[in-house]
Amino acid sequence: MWRYIGKRTLLALGIMLCISLITFIILNVIPGDVAAMMLGDFATADNIAQLRENMGLNRPLPVQYFSWLGGIVRGDFGTSYFQNRPVLELIHISFSYTVVIAVSAYVVAVVLGLSFGILAATHRGGVVDRLVMHLSVFGISAPSFWVAILLQLYFGLQLKWFPISGAKAAGWFVLPAFALGTRYAASISRITRTSMLEVMGQDYIRTCYAKGLNRLRVTIVHVFRNALIPVITILGNDFGALLTGSMITEKIFNIPGVGKMLIDAINRRDIPLVQGGVIYVAIICVVVYFTVDILYAVINPNIRLTKDVN
Amino acid sequence: MNKKLALALSLVLTIALLLSSAAVAEDLPKVLYFGQAYAGTALDMQISTNSGTASIADLVTESLIRFDDNNELQPILLTKLPDVSEDGLVYSFELKEGVYFTDGTELHSSDVKFTLERLFNPDTHAGSTSFFTMIEGSTAILKGEATELSGFETVDDYHFNITLEFPFAPFVKNMATSYADIFPEKATTEAGKQWGLSTNLIGTGPYKVKENDDSTEVVLIKNENYHGGEVLLDEIHFIYYDNADTKLLAYENGDIDVSDLPASQLLQYQSLYPDEVHPYNPPGTYFVHLNLKNEYLADINVRKAISLAINREELIDTILNGSGIPATSFLNYKIPGHDDSLGVYEYDPDQARQLLADAGYTEPITLNAEVREGDALTITAVQGYLQEVGINLNISIVDSATWTSDRSAGNIEVTSLSWNALFPDGDSQFYTYFYSTAAAGRSVFYASEEFDQLLDNGRLNTNEDERAELYRQADYLFSREDYVAIPLYYPQNNYLAKPHVIGFELPNLIFHFWNTDVDAAASAAVHGN
Repeated sequence: MWRYIGKRTLLALGIMLCISLITFIILNVIPGDVAAMMLGDFATADNIAQLRENMGLNRPLPVQYFSWLGGIVRGDFGTSYFQNRPVLELIHISFSYTVVIAVSAYVVAVVLGLSFGILAATHRGGVVDRLVMHLSVFGISAPSFWVAILLQLYFGLQLKWFPISGAKAAGWFVLPAFALGTRYAASISRITRTSMLEVMGQDYIRTCYAKGLNRLRVTIVHVFRNALIPVITILGNDFGALLTGSMITEKIFNIPGVGKMLIDAINRRDIPLVQGGVIYVAIICVVVYFTVDILYAVINPNIRLTKDVN
Repeated sequence: MNKKLALALSLVLTIALLLSSAAVAEDLPKVLYFGQAYAGTALDMQISTNSGTASIADLVTESLIRFDDNNELQPILLTKLPDVSEDGLVYSFELKEGVYFTDGTELHSSDVKFTLERLFNPDTHAGSTSFFTMIEGSTAILKGEATELSGFETVDDYHFNITLEFPFAPFVKNMATSYADIFPEKATTEAGKQWGLSTNLIGTGPYKVKENDDSTEVVLIKNENYHGGEVLLDEIHFIYYDNADTKLLAYENGDIDVSDLPASQLLQYQSLYPDEVHPYNPPGTYFVHLNLKNEYLADINVRKAISLAINREELIDTILNGSGIPATSFLNYKIPGHDDSLGVYEYDPDQARQLLADAGYTEPITLNAEVREGDALTITAVQGYLQEVGINLNISIVDSATWTSDRSAGNIEVTSLSWNALFPDGDSQFYTYFYSTAAAGRSVFYASEEFDQLLDNGRLNTNEDERAELYRQADYLFSREDYVAIPLYYPQNNYLAKPHVIGFELPNLIFHFWNTDVDAAASAAVHGN
């Protein structure tokens, strides 16, 4: 097990290094001069050239990259060009908003997804099953920005139940949570249904019924628990995706999360903030997927053994 | 008797009710909620050149002089407008006594000197230094060769002189821009790089920063000790919106009281809220920018043909829903020097085709346009007009950073944009874009000695009537003889304001709230505060 964890850790570090290098190259290859952006409309060519020099942007690219990488190793992600604040501090502020949206959307996704999945599986072929499956197709297909606008118009503007935009208190996150969570709920419900139906066809479930156990107990304790393994993988991946920022939803609901921060930084060529943000997203992804892998190996020893043998 | 008693009682009750509601209305705070795009910069107008940032910062930090709602110069921190020496080189200023920054320190000449030296300090990364480089000694600081501004002479705490390297007529106007806001030396030095971030912004203005999270909202509260008299509002909330549709939804929902309104949604909101849509005309011009280094665009016949091919009135009526005035020259009609006798540019595609044929262009010409997203619709309409006369326009839509960078590098052939003067002066609209040295850094490459000379003379001459005549000549040469750029229209921007917002005026691009008030009771009914 420890060998497996060690291998996965080394792989994760390699991935992070590659991501940092690719991000750095892309940011320096795409057009757009941060000095010209910073100085605005009235800057002269001399002003721009001087600022580039002062910011160290004329240094060779490898020197700039390793200087930045050295900072990362020391825990210094640099300073935002436009906001004059440490990148790490800005990421922490944005992350605090993203976490709230991610967790609330996750709760919506898990509660709705599992409930509807169980309901569909236990009513296989019936009206409820067909309704849930149709809804799930709709949920997967509907873009989150469209759902977001509908929610804003109906529950915000018309019914006045929730604020249309902003992030001041818990109630402000309800609409973003549903806009974002429904799509994940749809996929979770489908996976849950499929996985449960597979388990329900097993001999030991028939044995449970033959022993006289009631339907609810069999469904929850024997079917649902054993159907969870593929669902857990999906749940882990979904949480990782939610934590890395939901750019469009954040922009529509005016929430200053990681996604919005990254878009703003890319548009302005705020290179330290983009690089720091991307590394942050990479760390979240790697940690979440790493945790899912480990959990999966713990739950299903076959995987661990197979990988060890390999 | 009973009837009379009942009548008297009901009268007394009605009066009591009215009085009590009036008293409640008096106690209600006057709060204005304003929605605007996120600029993403500190509220430091030496660093930022963003008009949205200026809308906030100018209420906290003030310049010595400013333009009022009628675009007239008013001394704000001075007893009067500065005296100018006969040679036009030395400006003498007298500060008002007893003007305090909101940290309790009094405004002195030393603060003005500190502010200007900070502006030129290379570490500040100021974007607006070109407005002030006529001050003697400024270039030495910019180059890092000096730290003190030799052209600044402190006479005493309230008197100082500024010496220019050469006479510069619009100097006082430049000192009235947001870029000359005066900062308190002590507080600014202590804040260092954090100046303008969070609540680190202190000035002499009518408001002070109460809250600022640097990403979603800035809350200003009334400066109770404002030197300029009564401040009408208790609080102003500036709420940032990235998404224009969300901002308009927030307006409809009553979350904000004022918002700008894109031309594309003008008709819809005019029908929904006819009394809440207000137009205003900034002193600017929307134009098609041409790169004169391009082999085709170097030929005046091609440039003239482009102008003849475009139906400006139709473009305004269709693409802009009527939000604009057809251009008659580049200089905006609000700027002294604009020639009112000129008619709208002629629309004559046949003449355009003939002009191209006479110039030897028998095959279609292909040009490349690079625009930002906001200009895509207009340039697409232009593309259609040009195709009719045998000019193919390939359009690339790029982000702002790419566009700015390509324009600085001289790589843009054709683009379109609105160029607005900061104040109604020909120098402000022409010099920074089209003077030969500036034009070379903006993908224009116009180099006319005559045009440069007219602009130079406009800077040197202090007689406003004579200056207007110089800009009239420069404008005619630029717009009607050389066809350097193709002016399309003078923009009409629109904003939405709730009925309880009173006295909101927009003299130029920057939203100011100096004379804005709200009906507190009506506002409370909307916002529930």
